[in-house]
Amino acid sequence: MRLALPVALVLLVALPWLTASTYIMGIAVSGVLMTVAAAALNLVYGFAGLLSFAAIGFWGVGAYCAAITVMDWGGSFWSGVALAGLVNGVLALAIGVPMLRTRRHAFVVVSITFALLCALVSRDWTAVTRGPMGIPGLPAPSAFGYVFAGSARFWFVALGFSVLALALLHALGTSRIGLVLKAIKQNEPLAQSQGISPLPYKLLAFVVGAVVTGMAGGVMAFHLGVVDPLIFDFYYMQTFLIIVIIGGAGSFWGVLAAGLAMVVLPEALRASNDLRMVIYGGVLVVAMLAMPRGVAGWLEDRRVAVLRAKLR
Amino acid sequence: MSGPVLEVRGLRKSFAGVRAVDGAAFSVRAGSITGLIGPNGSGKSTAVDCISGFQRADAGQVLLDGADLRGLTPQRIARRGLTRTFQDVRVYEGYDLLQNLLVVAQPFVGVGWGGELLRSAGYRRARVAAEARARELIELVGLTRLVEAPAAVLSYGQKKLLAFAGAMMSAPRLVVLDEPVAGVNPTRINEVAEIVRRANAGGTAFLIIEHNVEFITGLCEHVVVLDRGAKLAEGPPHQVHQDPRVLEAYLGVEAVA
Ligand SMILES: Nc1ncnc2c1ncn2[C@@H]1O[C@H](COP(=O)(O)OP(=O)(O)OP(=O)(O)O)[C@@H](O)[C@H]1O
Ligand SMILES: [Mg+2]
Repeated sequence: MRLALPVALVLLVALPWLTASTYIMGIAVSGVLMTVAAAALNLVYGFAGLLSFAAIGFWGVGAYCAAITVMDWGGSFWSGVALAGLVNGVLALAIGVPMLRTRRHAFVVVSITFALLCALVSRDWTAVTRGPMGIPGLPAPSAFGYVFAGSARFWFVALGFSVLALALLHALGTSRIGLVLKAIKQNEPLAQSQGISPLPYKLLAFVVGAVVTGMAGGVMAFHLGVVDPLIFDFYYMQTFLIIVIIGGAGSFWGVLAAGLAMVVLPEALRASNDLRMVIYGGVLVVAMLAMPRGVAGWLEDRRVAVLRAKLR
Repeated sequence: MSGPVLEVRGLRKSFAGVRAVDGAAFSVRAGSITGLIGPNGSGKSTAVDCISGFQRADAGQVLLDGADLRGLTPQRIARRGLTRTFQDVRVYEGYDLLQNLLVVAQPFVGVGWGGELLRSAGYRRARVAAEARARELIELVGLTRLVEAPAAVLSYGQKKLLAFAGAMMSAPRLVVLDEPVAGVNPTRINEVAEIVRRANAGGTAFLIIEHNVEFITGLCEHVVVLDRGAKLAEGPPHQVHQDPRVLEAYLGVEAVA
């Protein structure tokens, strides 16, 4: 068990040598990036209990930020991704404060509205986004003269970013901040009676989630080579959510495992792009019925049941 | 004689025309164990909600050590040294007993998010102290055997004890307990009284809401009786329980039941 992490990491680093298929490498790149976005959503939904559809908005805004930095302002890929994080952080702070003051259901609705608004702006603010045509021809990133061209090389950029982002999310989740976030989610009035202010904690989760999601979107843009309004497609949001729910909201490792599984599964089932959405939806419904709290939640419930039986 | 740790003056709170608290006034002497009793629906829990910041009172004043608590959030009031438990018992079901108590903010005040994320020296010191205190309290309420069990497996009475420990965690000046032994196994009620007495010996004052007459009589030096949101009587428990007005208030409501 203790060896699982290093072994997995070595295998991931060695992936380009294990397969010659650029198709598989492409799947792997988008897979780790979507897993990062899912892990960020897990912080917001799984830890802080905020069902936020704003994630797809941050993902796309990050993609546009990174692309515009490179194509219009002459910046590097790296500064583009950094700016994607910064812009999303500021944006999340600005919309998060009023959003978090609304009630639970209103929050969900407002977050959907934000996501739809982002897609609308990307289509209509042609001066900046170039409208439905999008921004094509994003160049491969480079560092110290090395160009990460092609999926096999871009893989190292995506993997490096993902490891850093996941390390941050893991540190946050296992810290006292993570403990308090899940306490607020379990029983907010009790946390308040114990001296905890819920709002700053929720805002922290929301902002960190947005920064990480936005940066992942920024990296994704350069994997796709083009940014257009399709980056706001709900297919992405659906994937993030399925990964979190199947893995088990609030479980870092559960979500990570589900992320990897959900990359492999749809490829194995791949009949056509249209059918994929249906299959995804079907998997979600079945999983929700069988394990409403995900794999990690299901395992936890078994553990509690065993303990209960022992205490009788 | 020391002064009051809590003073409530002319407290009022209505819900859509129902006057839940209607001019209640009473005080809790520092270091004392005071009872707050009254028939069902007399406004006890609502008064506690107003005192602890969970409800905004329509009128009146709440003073903690002489300082007005008006407009403060529950978390600010808790940090000032007034904690409470809830009538509908509340614990973090998914957390084990230790985690339940480590959520409490007080031991970590001043550490900051950076320190918590990077596990700074200040954080680790606070964490060691907090864990020691948490284990002490778990021992006090007799749950040491279950320290690593998720709170979900506790019985109703055990959850009340855990909630009680949570309210004690920050070493508050005053703890308000809303029905600490309702639903608790009768054989264990004396133990709860003993736990309160021991915590009280450490200097913590208690305001206890409870319908169990024996529990209140054995524990409280002073009892306040609420009826229809206002104070009906107060005094030593045996005296209050013989007061004809009090008997009538209870009979008026409960004789029918
Ligand atoms: N949130 C609320 N909305 C509407 N009415 C409420 C609310 N909370 C309490 N009430 C009403 O206020 C009155 C006082 O209720 P409260 O819970 O304070 O009584 P109590 O003395 O704690 O009773 P018990 O001994 O049964 O716990 C009751 O008539 C109750 O129905
Ligand atoms: Mg009550």
